[in-house]
Amino acid sequence: MSEREFVIPIGPQHPALKEPESFLFTVDGEVVVDVEPRIGYNHRGIEKAMESRNYIQNLYLTERVCGICSNAHQTAYTGAVEEVGGIEIPERAKYVRVFMQELERIHSHLLWLGVAAHEIGFDTMFYYVWRDREVVMDLLEEVSGNRCNYAMATVGGVRRDLPRDKYPKWHKMLDKLAERTNYYIKVASTEKTILERAVGVGYLGKEDMIRLSGSGPNARSSGVPCDIRKLTPYLIYDEIPFEQIVVDNGDVLGQVLVRTLEVVEAVKICKWVLDNIPEGEIAVKFNPLQRLPEGEAVYLVEAQRGELIHYTISDGRNMPYRHKIRAPTLGNIPSLVERLKGGYIADIPITIAGIDPCFSCTDRMAFYDEGKDKTWTWTEGELSRYRKEWYSR
Amino acid sequence: MSNPLTTLVAVLFFPGFSFILTYALWCQWVSRKAAARLQNRQGPLHTGWQGTLQPLADFIKLLVNEDITPAAADNPVFNYSPIAVFAIPLATFLIPIQSLTSLRGWEPIASFEGDLIIVLFLMSVVILAVFLGGWSSGNIFGAVGATRAALMMLAYEIPLSLVAVGPAILAGSLQISKIVDWQVTSVNAFLGAPNIQGLAVAAVLLIGVVIYLICLLAELELRPFDISEAETEIVHGWQVEYSGKKLALLNAGHDIKMVLAAALVTSLFLGGPAGPILPPFVWFILKTTFCVLVLTNMSVLFARFRIDQMVAGAWKYLVPLAVLQVMAVVALSGVI
Repeated sequence: MSEREFVIPIGPQHPALKEPESFLFTVDGEVVVDVEPRIGYNHRGIEKAMESRNYIQNLYLTERVCGICSNAHQTAYTGAVEEVGGIEIPERAKYVRVFMQELERIHSHLLWLGVAAHEIGFDTMFYYVWRDREVVMDLLEEVSGNRCNYAMATVGGVRRDLPRDKYPKWHKMLDKLAERTNYYIKVASTEKTILERAVGVGYLGKEDMIRLSGSGPNARSSGVPCDIRKLTPYLIYDEIPFEQIVVDNGDVLGQVLVRTLEVVEAVKICKWVLDNIPEGEIAVKFNPLQRLPEGEAVYLVEAQRGELIHYTISDGRNMPYRHKIRAPTLGNIPSLVERLKGGYIADIPITIAGIDPCFSCTDRMAFYDEGKDKTWTWTEGELSRYRKEWYSR
Repeated sequence: MSNPLTTLVAVLFFPGFSFILTYALWCQWVSRKAAARLQNRQGPLHTGWQGTLQPLADFIKLLVNEDITPAAADNPVFNYSPIAVFAIPLATFLIPIQSLTSLRGWEPIASFEGDLIIVLFLMSVVILAVFLGGWSSGNIFGAVGATRAALMMLAYEIPLSLVAVGPAILAGSLQISKIVDWQVTSVNAFLGAPNIQGLAVAAVLLIGVVIYLICLLAELELRPFDISEAETEIVHGWQVEYSGKKLALLNAGHDIKMVLAAALVTSLFLGGPAGPILPPFVWFILKTTFCVLVLTNMSVLFARFRIDQMVAGAWKYLVPLAVLQVMAVVALSGVI
């Protein structure tokens, strides 16, 4: 480190990060020279807890992995379990799941847009976006009864139907969302101070993005077409006419454009679902005591933040032998580090927020000795002994 | 200074410290409420009528809060700079408000030839206190914020001072109350016999007001120039280690600086307390509140600039424009 350089710690507590994650920035004046990310501050033991609960109880655990993409996690979980069990869900349930997934995408992307505006100090836009986001929150509440953690999917279908008499009202709400989002696209791409803070900030080209294997809107803003809904369609995404949004800006403006255009596209999907949803049952019966055959399954879902992977192994009981969740943010951290290098201190918050990070869903705990390159595990008893020793010091 | 008692009352009550503090808290409420309504929020609502007492409640609450001084920041510079940030604008405010008392036939307590220079100088000294306070706080964010505050001063200080000199050249005096008098007489003359020169002067001064307001946004650390305290980037920058009484003083100092800026705009460009029908006091309050509203409106319209963008923009556009404006003023002052 030269004499002009010094280290700024950002996180695990910092107003720009709503979740615990640490970044050590080596800066030269106002320019970032090097970044050292450190993940793993939050361990909730959800994967372990799932191994001792049955498949219905696990629905509520998976939903609580993340507050914002709760439905994406549930969709991926139920999809993986149904694949292991060979359960065929009714056609109408697939439409309802897609409807929920796209509503959640709208709410998440609008939330992100507000946060991004706040990070560049444009609080007025933040308040306006969040006001308009209330429309989709109301819609979600009307459909499921909740503003987050909708508890809509279940193994074998969905738990609530979409009542047909509400469709005209929902169409109107969706139209309003599309209209407001188009307005924000116009604001974000013409307002001078936003462009000053967004164009060229946190740039990462297509080649680098492929090399660092980013996913979701983060990768699509650098021109990599990686939408799981197009690549390996699940549910009924192969029947729905929709565009995969890919721009090649590679900077924060590209991320704004990808997400806002995806909101418009998601509104179209929701309207298409409401127009084309078939009549019929919404779920097949699934008993909590029902055993699944031995086997394993991987289910990919395009969550709002990128590629969400749920991997489940069944050993023939009514609970999973192992369930592994890979949240999209984990795949986006290498590209985030590359985006941060060479930028200004002032651009750190918006660049980190640019990948729409969800660190708490990403974090797992593992023991690793860097010097000896060794990993190990601890039992509950060993952990509690360690705790007692630590606090009696 | 005929009667010491009158002078004491003037310093302590009206137009002295009590009035200034009350008025600063009022302007904070106006600014917060206006910003909230522009951003589709409610703003202060519960303390007093429509939350008018909220700034006072915040001030008192901070005064009784625990005052934590980190070990690394335990030095006189850190401890005394909030007092400077609070006291300097408070003392400076007496000067532009003199124009108000002079119209009512009261004895001015601090009005003399060259007081405009003193005001501009003292307003710059505040930034020095800010820099020292942030730098001595022993915090990396405080140091970055302090450097940014100093860098910003290099950018906006020159156009700010240049433009403030414009009305002084036209009035032929560096005394704020005389500048106000000049505005009143020349506006009356213009209304009596409208001419093209008067319009030209007004147009040139309008450019001056715009430059002045932009520089004031930077001076007051309002958006888009709240770079030195950017909450999401450097956690309130130079203020990061201040708490309790010191933070209360810093906030009050900021409010006083805001009304001081509004009073300067009013005195230099808007004719001070002069106006028809209503008494001068009401005109002064109306005009300064209007300036506060304009500043608030400008500050909610934009995203925050980066420090390099701000400095480059100021030297590319504001400084040349301010120089041109002063040249135009000099040329015009020969005409009228």
